[in-house]
Amino acid sequence: MSESTTATLEAAARNEQSVKLSMQQALNRALDEVLAADPKTVVFGEDCGQLGGVFRITDGLQAKHGETRVFDTPLAESGILGMSVGLAMAGFHPIPEVQFDGFAYPAINQIVCQIARMNYRSRGKLPMPITLRVPSFGGIRAPEHHGESLEALFAHVPGLKVVSPSDPHDAYHLLKYAATRPDPVIFMEPKSRYWQKGDVDTADGGTLTGARIVRPGRHLTLVAWGAMVARCLQVAELAAEDGIDVEVLDLRWLKPIDAEALATSVGKTRRAVVVHEAPLTSGLGAEVAQLITQNCFDTLKAPVERVTGFDVPYPSGDLEDEYIPNIDRILLGIQRVLEYRRG
Amino acid sequence: MAEISFPLPDLGEGLIEATVLEWLVSPGDQVERNQPLVELETSKSALELPSPQAGKVIRIHGAPGETINVGEPLVVFEVPDNTAGIVGTVPKDDAPKRRVRLSAVLDED
Repeated sequence: MSESTTATLEAAARNEQSVKLSMQQALNRALDEVLAADPKTVVFGEDCGQLGGVFRITDGLQAKHGETRVFDTPLAESGILGMSVGLAMAGFHPIPEVQFDGFAYPAINQIVCQIARMNYRSRGKLPMPITLRVPSFGGIRAPEHHGESLEALFAHVPGLKVVSPSDPHDAYHLLKYAATRPDPVIFMEPKSRYWQKGDVDTADGGTLTGARIVRPGRHLTLVAWGAMVARCLQVAELAAEDGIDVEVLDLRWLKPIDAEALATSVGKTRRAVVVHEAPLTSGLGAEVAQLITQNCFDTLKAPVERVTGFDVPYPSGDLEDEYIPNIDRILLGIQRVLEYRRG
Repeated sequence: MAEISFPLPDLGEGLIEATVLEWLVSPGDQVERNQPLVELETSKSALELPSPQAGKVIRIHGAPGETINVGEPLVVFEVPDNTAGIVGTVPKDDAPKRRVRLSAVLDED
């Protein structure tokens, strides 16, 4: 059989595994498969059981896997995460949900002081294989505490891993991957991207560690994660109209950050803008900028720019579009980098 | 389209059931969030139950006079698949709009 025929057959085989799913459907399917494959997995949180989650991520899972494996909890995040610690100690693989980003604050003690360091504290006797799902970021006109970006907070805690998918394919595979890690993973789901459909190759997830180039380009690297990846892809298309070839790098893992991928991309493009929804000061963009500067200082054409939310509490829905980096603000960030000349 | 069941919620004060007095919507009605769905009577009071979401009512459970337990189905809504979230709205994927044009001269050294 010729090489091309083999490749075609493999592609056909892969295509059979390729389905169009929304991120909501992809995450639901991933949880379903994890529950089926691993009897130690338990899924729980506010409205996760009977209702199937306010975003339908756990829809139908209780009916299929039973009330002892998919269940509702009281409205108490400290209890949800405290129970996760106990379940993990007893050999379970908990996949708790805090219903919204801002609801993680009441459970910070359990996340930071217990989940993140129990493995260390017990010299490896009590690992915490917990995947904490956190519907994250803004963009859906929801009330306070429903649109925040806590990645810098989580990433600052030793012992936690932090990941955020940007499309259905990655959501499906990264959730399955996270759920089988021996360490606690904070899984930040971009809630404004739950309903857009995309191709999911269920058979082949590709590389699930590190960052991913979602659009190659020559002149400048846009670094983003979660919901901002889609916006940066739009910006890249618009920049192309002006003759600027933008590379978009989806960071995916926010702890640990793929410094090598940043260095490779910016080493080539020599310019970088990092985009996030979280406030500017002490945001993850600062960490990204430092890693790029550390590794690409000699070749950088300009200081790394940051286009971010503002240093204010996340605003109400009416002001969301002013707060979240929009296309023009990202384009202006690109323009500042392109205009920079060494003094 | 997706179906979402709205069971009789916990009405507080330890109440475990309510009696249907009058339906304010019918199957086929399009309702908005917070629109009154049904008038109920409990052992404490009569109350109008607001809709938890927008959607089309496709089934209602309990004729006037019938008693429904907390947690039992009350209303089933039909909603488009892509608006099945209960909190917030689904952002529109509009064609990107721009005002800023890039005007840089690249020196390709």
